[in-house]
Order: sequence, then structure tokens, then C-alpha cells
Amino acid sequence: MIALPALILLPAAGGLAAWLSDRSRQASSLSWWVAITTILLQALLLLVITRTADWGHGPWLAHFSAPWIPALGIAARMDMDGLSLVMLWLTTLLSFPCVILSARDVGERPGLFNLLLLATIAGINGVFLATDLFLFFFFWELMLVPMYVLILQWGHEDRRRAAIKFFLFTQGSGLLMLVAILGLVILHQHATGIVTFDYFALADTPLMPTAAMVLMLGFFIAFAVKLPVVPLHVWLPDTHTQAPTAGSVLLAGILLKTGGYGLIRFVVLLFPEAATRFAPVALALGVAGILYGAWLSLAQDDMKRLIAYSSVSHLGFVLLGIFSGSPMGMRGAVVQMVAHGLSTGALFVIAGSLQDRLHTRDMRRMGGLWQALPHLSSVGLFFAIASLGLPGMGNFVGEFLTLLATWRVSPPMAILGTVGLVLSAVYSLTMVGRAFLGPPHAGQGTTHTPPPADFGPRQMTVLGLTMALLLVLGTYPQPVLDLSLPAPAHATPQPEGPHP
Amino acid sequence: MTTLLSGLPPSLPILGGGIALLLLCSAWRRSEARAILIALATLLLAFASLWWPLLPWPGDPTGMLFVPDGWFTYIAALILLSSAATMIMAWRETGTSSDEFYLLLLLGTLGALVMAGSADMVIFFLGLETLSLSLLGLIAWHRTHPTADEAAIKYLILAGLSSATLLFGLALSYADSGSLHFAAPSLEGPEGPALPLAATALVLTGLFFKLSAVPFHTWLPDVMEGAPIPVASFIAVTSKIALFAALARYFAGADLLRPDAAGTELAIVAVLSMFGGNLLALGQSNLKRLLAGSSIAHVGYLLLALLSPGPFGLTSAAVYLAAYAAATSGAFAALGGASVPADIAGWRGMFRRRPALALAMAIMLISLAGIPPAIGFFAKTYIVIAGVSARRIVLLVALVASSIIGLYYYLNIVRAMMEPAPEVHRAARGTPANAGLIAILAIITVLAGLFPETLVRQTRSLLQPAPIMREASLRPAAPHDILYRE
Repeated sequence: MIALPALILLPAAGGLAAWLSDRSRQASSLSWWVAITTILLQALLLLVITRTADWGHGPWLAHFSAPWIPALGIAARMDMDGLSLVMLWLTTLLSFPCVILSARDVGERPGLFNLLLLATIAGINGVFLATDLFLFFFFWELMLVPMYVLILQWGHEDRRRAAIKFFLFTQGSGLLMLVAILGLVILHQHATGIVTFDYFALADTPLMPTAAMVLMLGFFIAFAVKLPVVPLHVWLPDTHTQAPTAGSVLLAGILLKTGGYGLIRFVVLLFPEAATRFAPVALALGVAGILYGAWLSLAQDDMKRLIAYSSVSHLGFVLLGIFSGSPMGMRGAVVQMVAHGLSTGALFVIAGSLQDRLHTRDMRRMGGLWQALPHLSSVGLFFAIASLGLPGMGNFVGEFLTLLATWRVSPPMAILGTVGLVLSAVYSLTMVGRAFLGPPHAGQGTTHTPPPADFGPRQMTVLGLTMALLLVLGTYPQPVLDLSLPAPAHATPQPEGPHP
Repeated sequence: MTTLLSGLPPSLPILGGGIALLLLCSAWRRSEARAILIALATLLLAFASLWWPLLPWPGDPTGMLFVPDGWFTYIAALILLSSAATMIMAWRETGTSSDEFYLLLLLGTLGALVMAGSADMVIFFLGLETLSLSLLGLIAWHRTHPTADEAAIKYLILAGLSSATLLFGLALSYADSGSLHFAAPSLEGPEGPALPLAATALVLTGLFFKLSAVPFHTWLPDVMEGAPIPVASFIAVTSKIALFAALARYFAGADLLRPDAAGTELAIVAVLSMFGGNLLALGQSNLKRLLAGSSIAHVGYLLLALLSPGPFGLTSAAVYLAAYAAATSGAFAALGGASVPADIAGWRGMFRRRPALALAMAIMLISLAGIPPAIGFFAKTYIVIAGVSARRIVLLVALVASSIIGLYYYLNIVRAMMEPAPEVHRAARGTPANAGLIAILAIITVLAGLFPETLVRQTRSLLQPAPIMREASLRPAAPHDILYRE
């Protein structure tokens, strides 16, 4: 299906158009319109792909393949299953707040901003589609550079350190994954005599347990840095805190999910036996992440830092679900990723808006904002409650399913995970209490400065839609649950069209 | 006479003729425009001649002076193109414009070609000395600058020392085997392994000095800093390509997978070069010195490819050389075109002042760092494929770790270019020729990165019947391997 590469080329071309439209100086809002149009077109394209997909003929829904570097067995091969589709929709939906809500804090050079944003989105779409390991790695690296520049250019006070930390961590772990990919390719070549990077061919490589474990760890570390899993999370709080609002939304909402997606697609499905043997360690790391992230969230004064640590905690559930070894846990992990993307993305929008209005992220200098900013505060309350996992929201479904699946494997882990849920209620409500409720902070109530502006209709529409999505996910998760079970790696999709 | 001339690549007499013509013309009347025209035309003609096999080549390198095989053709093409890039960089550059400059560049190119194509120790040494002597004149070009004098003296002493070491090694090798064939002597000779070992060690030491591999690298940053920018590019690109090609040819018949002394020395030097070069570059604020460090590190990566014989080893080195040549030449051309002091402070805010130049520089740095979509990404991946396929675990770990160091300083320049400009002062712009060169190299770097198939197929078809990989490539995988099932 030719629409799959279009999903990557469209944002890239749109980004270039947005950049070029900015160079004609007189109309600076033009580039924003180009960017919004691009994302609308992307949503339309995805809708078309969803409608015309090959439903009912096995788990793989669409396929595209073209030769790229045949001398090394590298093809531009993309396949889409339900998991990819869910992730692509999440990406597309979260692109809207990124573009619509960041016009305010970007200021100069919106063209470059839109180019980088859309280039990152193109890379992410590619990661969710590629089924050639070289192509996957190409996109995996490609999405980092624009993100780095985005943080560097539009980040907050300590952006230089944060940006380079982000880049070195992800790129360094990416190189480990590259060695693992090539190790797999070479072992496949020794076994069959064919050099190929094809996902489905490589999934059939006969491997010794030791080799499978070593290669699996290479992949695991790269994805664990991205997700993040606890000892490898140190880049995340800094990067999230320093990134501009759109950058934080993109990072927390989608970029971290590439880690979860990779764990499912390239760790569990490519090395099923090694992943099963590794599962106890992964479960322990997941629980450690849940508790550690929650514990540190309790101690934060910086609002964005608090949300960043809460991400570490919530994504621990994803790790639990993926390595619980049951379809239920896998589904729960995917729902949790989607819900976390929506709720944390929204929380970063709120924290960014507060910083924009109050020029601080320090919750010690906030308080009583409900009087001044009723809309913003109520939206904040909603997403804080969603993020702590109140029944009726998507997060609850995800956490419940993963914990249930974990209980079957290891009750102690499930109990410890539940403790994390309690802690998340504590820090979320503390955040609401400190920022929105309580007495107004001395410095801001009594004021010569005019009160900061509340959310306007534009923000309320975007965030309202996000709320609606979370509620739908919480009350009727069945469509996502049906889609989210990944297609097995050996069910080679039916080739269609003239391509072999 | 026939054995002497058989295998002589036609590009060598063409270059010689060009040099003679240039000498004649500048003796008659000096003109920079005519000098560069003659020089470029010579390079072009030599380039075209790479694909005319005028003299039949028997295919067996023993007893021959030159081996015009696929490896030579590929390396010669790279050498000729990169020295053409150097000439375009030097055109109308303040202080470098003169007939003799192009004459010395042509002479250096001739030396580099001879080195890359030689199958005989004497021929190799002649080529090396031709290159070294012309480089000496080029390095000292700004002869009124104290740094240029310092650089030239440093280069003179160390080049002389390394030539002497190399020559001693070649002599020992001759004493051992009685043959002048340019190849590592076999350790299973009648005299025992001591003599060939000493010969190989001395030859390697001499080559590493010229190639500036760690720990023989200390001269390179000073020399690059003191030399004019085009000359620095010539040292970093053309001369290194020729030396690496000769090194690869020296070990053509040897089995580098066997853990013997030569292989171990190469591996140690590779690891040291990766870390040493990157750490050296990390501390530099002068971009010429930084690129010197980076070029040392890239020698380390190339040694990994050399140490991984097999279907991917030499082809990956060939692709990497092309990627490295394009990006490094481009970076130097950008340095020349910027007309600001070559330190990071001078490049601050370049994205606001000269967006096109800054973009091109960023592409070159991204390629050197090995980030997609530039060709450096594919080239580095290719080398890692070769390394994984030969199971060079220690070297791969060193490559990954030192690449992360490399990322830091390459990105640091990109970051500095993105910062707000300190003050807008009108700097002189580079020549249009230089701007065109930068644009072409940037486009090549990106296009080749997106579509590397052509390059891979070219190198494959050139190196497929290569005599250079005849024995090592057929050897089965090492038996002590636990990683894969029978």
C-alpha cells in the first residue's frame, strides 16, 4: 500500500513547506497554517489507511515494500498491524496540541520550529511502520536530531545540558542496538547464507540461548533508555523539564512510546524465549520504576519535573504488562501507553501554560490559581485525576489490566505495583492542592500586574477533545483492546500489488 | 621493459605530464588562473583514464611494480576528486594563490597515486617521499607566520624520522625474504619469526606516523593548525586515503583474524586511535585542531574495517573512505568559506549570519558523527557490519564508546552555530567556486546517505575480484565461537 510511505513523506514535505513559507517574512502565521494543514492531511490519510486496510485477512493490515540497498539485503519495507495503527493514531492526535498550542511560546522563526516538529513526527511514523531492521534504525536515529535542535532552540534555562544529555543517552543506546541488529543479521547469514534485514526473515533465525539473550539485551537497553526503565532514566527529568511545551508533549506523549513499541515488536516478538527468561528481571525493573518514580514525584517542587517523574512511574506499568507474558498484560500495556500519552501530554500543556503565565514552574510560588484561572485549573484537576488512575479514564483500564496480568505471574510484584498507585494518588492530589487550591501565593495575588489570562476557546477545545478521548478509552476500551495485540513475527503478511 | 611498464596505470604519466606542463607555463609567464586550469584539467584527464586499461595486466602482482586493480581504481578516483576539491578551496584564497601551490598539490597527488598503486617497496617509498616533500612546502606556505614555521619543522623532523623507520623496516623485510614485493613478510620463513616480526613492526610504525594513528599522532594537530586550510584538508583527506590504501595493500595476503603480533598491534592502535582522537578533539576550541582529532578517530574506525576481513571488510572501508573524504573536505571548505577565525567562538551564531553555510557545515558534522540521513551513518553501519561479521567484539565496544564522545563535540559545534550571533560584523565571503564546492559536497553527503546502493554496488564490483582479499575472505568462521548453532 503506497499510503504507508506517504505517512512519512507527508509530514516531511509539510515541514519543508512550512519552513519555506516562513522565509517570505511578511506572513509569519502562514507557516502555522501549513503545519496545521499538514497534520490535518495526515489525519485524513490515516483515516483512509484505516478504512482501506486489509481487515479480516490475518493480523497484518497493510504492507509496502520497495528495494533500497539490495546489495546488503536492505529494503524499504513497512507493515502495519493493529498495534502500529493505534500508535499512529496516538501520534497524529497528539500532533494537534503540539502545533496548535505552541504558537504562543515559539516566538521567532516558527518555520524552523514547524520543520523540526514535523520531521520528528515523520521519523516517529517511520519507527511505527518499518519492518526492515535497517530502515527501523534509520528512522530511530532520524527522529532524534530534530528533537535535539528543538530542545536546544526553544528550551528553558538549562537547555544545553538537557539537550546533549538526551542525545548522548539515546544515541549511545541506539549504537548498542545497532550492534545487536547486525549481530542478528550476521548470525542469520551464517545459518542461511543470506544477508537480509527483513524482520520476518530474521525472526526465524535459529539462535543459541546465550546468543539470543545477548542480542535481546542489546535491543532491550536501547528501548529501556527510551521508555524509560529505572536505572537508565536519568536523562528524562532534565530533558522533559527543559524542553519547550511542544517538545515535552512530543517526548512524553509519543517518543517514549517508541520504547514501549520497540519492546513489544523487537524484544518480545523477535526473541520470545530470551524475553521469557528475562521477564523476572524486567518485572522487577518495572516495579522499581513505579515505586522510584512515584517516590521522587512526591519530593518535587518543579511542576514539570514532577510530571516527568510520574511518567517514569506510569511507564513502569507498561514494562510490567509487556513482560507479564499474557495477552491481557500486553493489551493493558498498550492502553496504558495511549492513556499516558494523552494525559501526560495534556499535563505538560498545562504546566507549560502556567510557566508561560507565571514565569515559574515552582509550585512553592503558585497556589490559589483556581480563582484567577478557573478553566486552566479545572482542566488541570481533570488530567491529574486521570493520571492517578481514577476508574472511568483510560489510565485505569491500562493499570488494572497490567496489574491483573502481573498478579497471575507474581503476586508480590502486583502488590508492590499497587503501592505505586497509592503514591500516585498522593502526588497528583498534592500537585493539585499546591498549585490550584489553597491560599494565593503572596507574590502573585496582591498585584500590580494584571491577572494572567485564562485558557481561551482554542486551548479548551483541544484539551476538551483530549478529555473526551480519555473518557472514551476508559469507558469503552474494546476497540483499542482488539487492535492492540501485536501481530506475531512469523505471520508473514500477504504481499499485495506488483511488489514481491 | 615490458615487465617494468606492464601495469603502469595511465593516470601516472598523465599526472607527470601535467606537472611538466605546469612547470613550463609558469617558467614562461605566471598566472594563477592558468595554473589551476592546467592542474584541474590534469586531474580530470587522470580521472577519466582510470577507466581505460591501456596496457594489459596479467593479474598476478608478484614481480610487478604497480597493481592497477579495482582497489587502486577506487582509491585513485577518491584521491583525484579530493585533491581537485583542495584546489578549488585554494582558488583565490588569500595568501595561497600562486602557481607553485598547484604544482605542489599536483606533485603530492602523484605521490599519493603511486603509493596507492605500488606493488613494490621501492616504488611505494618513492611515492611516499614525493607526497611528504610536497607536503612540506605546502605546510610552510604562510612562511611569515611563526605557526607555519613551527608546523613545517615539526613535520620535517617527524616525517624524516618515520621515513627512516619505514625504510629500515623495508630493508629488514628484504633481508628476510629477498623480495621487494610490498607485502607483510610471512612469519613461517626459514629464519624464524624474529626478523619478519621486526620488519613488520618497523614498517607499521612508519606508516602509523604518517597516518597519524595514536600513539604516533602528536604532530597532526599542530601541523593542521599551522597549515593553510586547503593544505590541512589535503593532509586529512588525500594523504590519509593514500596511506590507508597502502596499509591495506601491505596486509593483503596476511590473515588478520589470526591473533598474531601484527594483528594485535593493529587492533591496539585502532582502539587507541578511536579514543585518543576523540578525546583529543573533545578538548579543542580550534576547529582545525578539532578536525585533526576527528580524523585520527576516523583512522581508528577504518582500522576496524581493515581488521575485519571477509565479504564486508574492504568494501566497508571503501565506502567509509568516500564518506569521510566528502564530509571532511566539505568541513574544511566551509571553514575556508566562512572567513572567520577557525574557532568555535567565531562560528557562534552562524545559523543567523550565514544560514546556508551553517547548514552545509551541520550536514558535514552530522555525517562525521554518523547520524542519518548523511552518508556517514550508512558508512559507520557498514563498518559495524564488517566488525560484527568478523566478531571483533573489543573493537566494536571501543567504536561505540568513542563514537559517543565524538557525538558530543560534533554536536557542540552545531549547538554553537545555533546560538544567537554575538554581533553582526560583515565578514568577507568565500569565492563562488568554494561555495559551489560546499554545496556539491553537502548534496552528495545527503543523497549518498539516502541512496547508498550505487556506492555499495560500485565498490563491490570494483573489489569483487580483488587480489587483496583472496585468502582471508575464504577462511571459514573462527571455531571458538559460541554465538551460533552449527
